[in-house]
Amino acid sequence: MNCNVAIVWMHDYLDGELPREDIAALKSHLASCPACRSRFELLQKTDAAAFQTLEAIKPAAGYDKKASEQLTQRIMQQLPKQQSKERNRFVRFIYRYPGVTAAAVFALVMLGSFFTMWEEDNKLIVAGEDLQQVVIEGNTVIVPEGAHLTGNLTVENGTADVQGKVDGNVTVIDGELNLASTGYIAGQSRTIDQALDWFWYKVTQTFGGSAR
Amino acid sequence: MNVLEPRLAKLALKGDQQAFAELVDLYQDKLFHMAYRMLNSRQEAEDVVQDTFLRVYKNLDRYDDTLKFSTWIYRIATNLCIDRLRKRRPTYSLDAESNDHEGLDGYSMIPGDNRTPESEMLLSDTQRIIHAAIASLPPKYKTVMTLRYMQDLSLQEIGDVLEMPVTTIKTRVHRGREFLRKKLEHKL
Repeated sequence: MNCNVAIVWMHDYLDGELPREDIAALKSHLASCPACRSRFELLQKTDAAAFQTLEAIKPAAGYDKKASEQLTQRIMQQLPKQQSKERNRFVRFIYRYPGVTAAAVFALVMLGSFFTMWEEDNKLIVAGEDLQQVVIEGNTVIVPEGAHLTGNLTVENGTADVQGKVDGNVTVIDGELNLASTGYIAGQSRTIDQALDWFWYKVTQTFGGSAR
Repeated sequence: MNVLEPRLAKLALKGDQQAFAELVDLYQDKLFHMAYRMLNSRQEAEDVVQDTFLRVYKNLDRYDDTLKFSTWIYRIATNLCIDRLRKRRPTYSLDAESNDHEGLDGYSMIPGDNRTPESEMLLSDTQRIIHAAIASLPPKYKTVMTLRYMQDLSLQEIGDVLEMPVTTIKTRVHRGREFLRKKLEHKL
C-alpha cells in the first residue's frame, strides 16, 4: 500500500468512517511500515488528548446545577408573551400579503358607503344649479312650460317631467323621464335604474367631484 | 430520527411553554459547554445560550422537520458563537501604556476579580498546551475541530450544522488533526 493512501485512511479510521475490510488492509500496512506506524500513533494520541482537553474545559467558577437552573429561569423569562405572538401572526399576514390587505380594506370601505347611499335612496332628491323654477308635485319634478333652466338637473326616486328648456344634462335615477313636446334638453338625458349603473354613476361622480 | 423533539417544538409553537421548557432542559447544558469551549468565557457562553433559545422560540414556525432538531439548534448556537468571535476586539497588549491615562498600563485596567479567560479554566499543564494548540488553529479549522471533538456529532451532522458539504468537513478535520499533530509532536 502507498503511504499517502495510508495517511488518508488513518484519518478516516479516526473519524470512524473507514470500512471494515480497509481497516484490515491499513493494519497490515502499519505492521510493515514503521514511519506510518509512528505517525498513526501520534495522530491517535493527538486525537485522544484534544478530545480529553475539550472535555475538561469548564469554567473554574463552577457552572453547577444552581447556575444552570438560574440560566433556565432567565431563558424562560425572556420569552415573549403568547398574546403578542398571536398579534404577530396577524401582523405577519398583513406584511406577507399587502395587496390582499389593501384590496380588502378598499372593498370594505366601498361596500360601507355603497350601503349607506343605497339606504338613503327612498327619498326624493332633486339636485341642480337652478332649482327656483322647478315645481315639485308629490313624486314628480316638473320643469314648467316656458321655464328655462341653466345648468344640470338630477332627480332621484322620482319622475322628471320636462316641459320647458334645460341647458345642461338631465339625469334620472330610479325613476322616469318624461319629455313633453314643448320640452327641450340641450345636454344629455339619462335614466339610471340598475344598481350597477347607479353604483358606477356614484363612483364617477364622487371621484369626478373630488378631482374638480 | 428522534421524534420527541419535533413534537415538543410543535407543542411549543402552539404556545405550550412547558414543552419549550423541556427543550431548554434537553439542550441548555450541551449548548453552554459548546459555547464555553468556543468562547472561553462563562458570561459570553451564557449569553449565547440565552440568545439561542430566544431565536429558537421566535423561529419555531420556521423549523423544518427534515432537519434534526439538534442540528438546527447547534447551527443557531454555532453561528452566534462565530459572530461573537468575529466581533471580538483585537487584543491589546497589557504592557502598552494607555493613551488616555498617563502612567497607567493595561494591568491597572483589569477589574479586581481577575477573571481573565485563562484563569477561569481548570486545566492541567498538558491540557493547557493542547488548548493553546487548538486555540492557535486557523478559525475555519477551529470551529470544525471544536465541534468534532466535543459533541458526538458525525461528520455529516457537522456539515449540516455549518451548512457545508461533508467532503469539506472531512478535509478540514484531516488538516486540523495534522496541524495539531505537528504542534504537539514533541510535547505529548
